[in-house]
Amino acid sequence: MAFDIDRYTETSVSVNWSDLDLEVFRRDPLPESSLRTLRYMADVEYHTVCYTRDLLTTPSHREADVSAFMTMWNREEFWHGEALAAVLAVHDITVDYDALKANRMKLGWKDRLDPIKQSVLGGLVGQDFVAVHMSWGAANEWSAITAYQRMAELEEHPVLAELLRRIAKQEARHVAFYTSQARERLAANTKAQKVTRFALSRFWAPVGSSISTEDDVRHVMTHLMSGPEGRRSARKVDDSISGMPGLAGLTIVQDALDRLGVS
Amino acid sequence: MNPSTGVGRAPTVGRGPAPFDVRGFARTAQGSLRDEFDLEAIARAGLAPECRRTLAALAELEGATMAYLRNVLVTATHKDARVTAFLVSWAYEKYWIADALRRIAGEAEDPEDRAAGIATSGRGPVRRALAGFVQGFDVIGAHLALGYVDDLVLDLAYARLAAAAIPIATDPGAAGPALGDLIARIRAIKSRHTAFFEGETCRRLGASPRAARLARREIRRSPWPLGGAAVGAAERAAFVRFATSDGAAVAALARGIRSLPGLDDRTATAVVRRLGA
Ligand SMILES: [Fe+2]
Ligand SMILES: [Fe+2]
Repeated sequence: MAFDIDRYTETSVSVNWSDLDLEVFRRDPLPESSLRTLRYMADVEYHTVCYTRDLLTTPSHREADVSAFMTMWNREEFWHGEALAAVLAVHDITVDYDALKANRMKLGWKDRLDPIKQSVLGGLVGQDFVAVHMSWGAANEWSAITAYQRMAELEEHPVLAELLRRIAKQEARHVAFYTSQARERLAANTKAQKVTRFALSRFWAPVGSSISTEDDVRHVMTHLMSGPEGRRSARKVDDSISGMPGLAGLTIVQDALDRLGVS
Repeated sequence: MNPSTGVGRAPTVGRGPAPFDVRGFARTAQGSLRDEFDLEAIARAGLAPECRRTLAALAELEGATMAYLRNVLVTATHKDARVTAFLVSWAYEKYWIADALRRIAGEAEDPEDRAAGIATSGRGPVRRALAGFVQGFDVIGAHLALGYVDDLVLDLAYARLAAAAIPIATDPGAAGPALGDLIARIRAIKSRHTAFFEGETCRRLGASPRAARLARREIRRSPWPLGGAAVGAAERAAFVRFATSDGAAVAALARGIRSLPGLDDRTATAVVRRLGA
């Protein structure tokens, strides 16, 4: 189904939590390990605008729809970061811009080389690479929804569950955009399918891998994706990804869990 | 350190105003202007051809945020969370400014020309990433200086549009007053962007001679207006003609550029020359 970009931009809002009583976390705080996961999620959300840079190094930025989406998407993700930071703040964990900057500084080489790699790949395969970006984005947004849903289930905390439900609802619109773009570009283009298969199976890693320590990634994946329930969620994301044209059989999320030793 | 703004260092040059509140800016970012203004009525009321053409060009220039983000985020600028937080809401506000302008002016004249322009504009992201690697954090100041100068350049056009809207007001049923209100609103929205760019640029260029040197170089070799590649050559030329017809305004632009620490006469002159004014 076509994604209605005008409808999306007209209805894009920052996620609201002003009606939620976050003070309940003072009486009923989240456990340490959950806060670590939330902190990771907040970092990923705040970092979204930096990922745009990778998407923009390809011809995809020429397209007005993509550019309109990116503008709203960046802002929605930024506010997801702010919302999660508000929850962390009640637990006396401060996520200010200096802390985020310090985190980004630690990345050093890993992050810095990324746009170069992406641009070279983008240059090699031209427009087909847009299919990779869109499929990649779809995989990340599906992962985000699943992560928030799992977190809500695991914590059984009504206020947190409601906030995460609101965030996940916006992630669902992101999925709709990326999948409609990806499907359109993959359908009837076997070269794009091949390049996308290659890139996803070779390079994809859980969202946040490029901006976090492996310890943090393993913690979050173990927290959210281990055990039979976690595996089932991972499989569901894989099923969605492999349901796109030419991507049948891909199991990139489960492969990533195996690589991290999460079972 | 101030936890609400994330600013940790006092400015070393000048006694500027309080640091820009990025979180407050994000919270109060201006979205669509469609409800606040009857944009269709402004369009229907008729516009002088050169105003319409300028509004169409401005729509493209304001909407060209993704190209700017692409160029600056491949460098160390993406590490500065305060700057990226600002740019998120900056792009959002400019998106809706562009939307309002497009609604009253219609589409730009030459979309094919425009696509070609983007493909060939400036250095590619790979070269920028490599150059940014060498330049390190001083490049952030240069990028913010570009944002400041671009705001000054575009404001020349807004100022002239605002002036042009006044005489039309005597003609009953003309777009004058409503257009004047819209332009005033847009300039108010943009004044916060300019304030951020100016404050950040002063702080960074004042603290680092290397940042000032990079800023001078980037400003001298950038096409003005910054998003000029987003409009065709003919539209860009018409835009510049309209924006720079007033010698006093161009002199004020040069003064604005020179007012930043480390930016000299040569830099200001280069911008004026590149504008073709
Ligand atoms: Fe998000
Ligand atoms: Fe998302």
